[in-house]
Amino acid sequence: MPSAPFSPPPIRLTATGCLTALGDAASTHAALLSHQRALQLHPVLGRDGGDSVPLALLPQRSLDETAPPNWLAHLDTLGAQIPAADWGSPRLPVFVTSSNFGVGSLYAFQRTRDPAHLASGTPFASVDRIRQHFGWGANVSILSHACVSAHLGLLLATRTLHAGLADRALVFTFDFVSPFVAGGFHALKILNNGFPAPYAARDTGSIGLGDGAAFAVLEHPDASPTAANTLLLHAQSLYNEMHHFTANRADGSGFATCLEPVAAAARDRRLWIKGHGTGTLEAGRLEADTLAQLFPDAPLVSWKGSLGHTLGSCGLVELALAVESLRDGRVPGTIGSEPPFFRDNVAAEPFSTAAFDAVLLTSNAFGGAHAATLLTPA
Amino acid sequence: MSDPLRAQLKQLIVRTLKLDDLQPEDIGDDDPLIGSGLNLDSIDALELVVTLEKEFGIKISSSEESRAALASVAHLADFVRSRAPADRVPA
Repeated sequence: MPSAPFSPPPIRLTATGCLTALGDAASTHAALLSHQRALQLHPVLGRDGGDSVPLALLPQRSLDETAPPNWLAHLDTLGAQIPAADWGSPRLPVFVTSSNFGVGSLYAFQRTRDPAHLASGTPFASVDRIRQHFGWGANVSILSHACVSAHLGLLLATRTLHAGLADRALVFTFDFVSPFVAGGFHALKILNNGFPAPYAARDTGSIGLGDGAAFAVLEHPDASPTAANTLLLHAQSLYNEMHHFTANRADGSGFATCLEPVAAAARDRRLWIKGHGTGTLEAGRLEADTLAQLFPDAPLVSWKGSLGHTLGSCGLVELALAVESLRDGRVPGTIGSEPPFFRDNVAAEPFSTAAFDAVLLTSNAFGGAHAATLLTPA
Repeated sequence: MSDPLRAQLKQLIVRTLKLDDLQPEDIGDDDPLIGSGLNLDSIDALELVVTLEKEFGIKISSSEESRAALASVAHLADFVRSRAPADRVPA
């Protein structure tokens, strides 16, 4: 029997940033407001061809991996945004999350037999390469939980801070598309030649995949005087319904169980929702239905119709974009989707944040994992 | 008269999914394959689709199309006949 959701006390969010095919958080946010779609058709197996599928790759990045990895230099623009600190030292831990790590390098080795690819192929090897690239210390933890990986990183960083084991914590996430990953989703027939339309009531579901990397810096709420415009991860929840590898319980109870602790914390708040919304039909319908039932007045958006699904990094990429939305005062709508929707809570067009005082961010994953985060002003 | 394509598909299902306790002729033409009846899941469907595409030279384009085609052996036979080159399908 699955246990209750894991739900820690609030934690302060002091910095975020992300990198997508549309640039950093500010550039991506601006592009989303103008309905720009990063997804473009690419051969699913890169140089080996195959069907055309929608992918959103970083500019000038090839789907086929190089040695060293062709995504490594791109991370410099993200790294430059991380507040300077002795990250990886005993009191400044780093939590690195991903769902794919360096699997693109393993596939490149399988294709080319060039052993240079093996230096980045395993989770440890890829993260250690990043650690050395940024000059972090040894206090780096590696976490993975499919598409809720980033949420898991936030939760464990939160727990570490509340246990008094750290002064601040850096959560870092990266997921870059490779022929191996694209091929896997293509084999499931959910990555096909259709572009994703999150929450749209269509006959065929389609996802897109996108490159994504992001970071967040967390601090204990009592650590120092609260600066202006500080945000809180007011509530977090992680739950695995343990139903099936690729399917959810048909009654939506898995989604609901994860959301209940956060719903309690959100009582009396006026919130908007950044949902998971990949473009699949069954999960998208369950998600939209459950959110509409629990939060009937909350507009729901998904940005995966533009950016693609950035897999394990999506929780933190989209958190950074939500923070940018709060900073800007405007929330991008659900790009790539048109009515009819599964429910009328879906916001297709951008809207102002003025009427709201909280954001609920949700992600869902293979294996029946669900995650939710409530973001509020401190 | 039995349908040779349906018989071939039943053998393919048992072979691909290693259903050691099941004989091909025990699969009814109209028995549900996914969710009930044979109770195959999405991973089973993935394996079947890969095998079907190779064996018959067809292309299944979405998970919804896969689910419709795999509703039963009868549905699958109709789908294969509608998509496969004639020389890949038993007469």
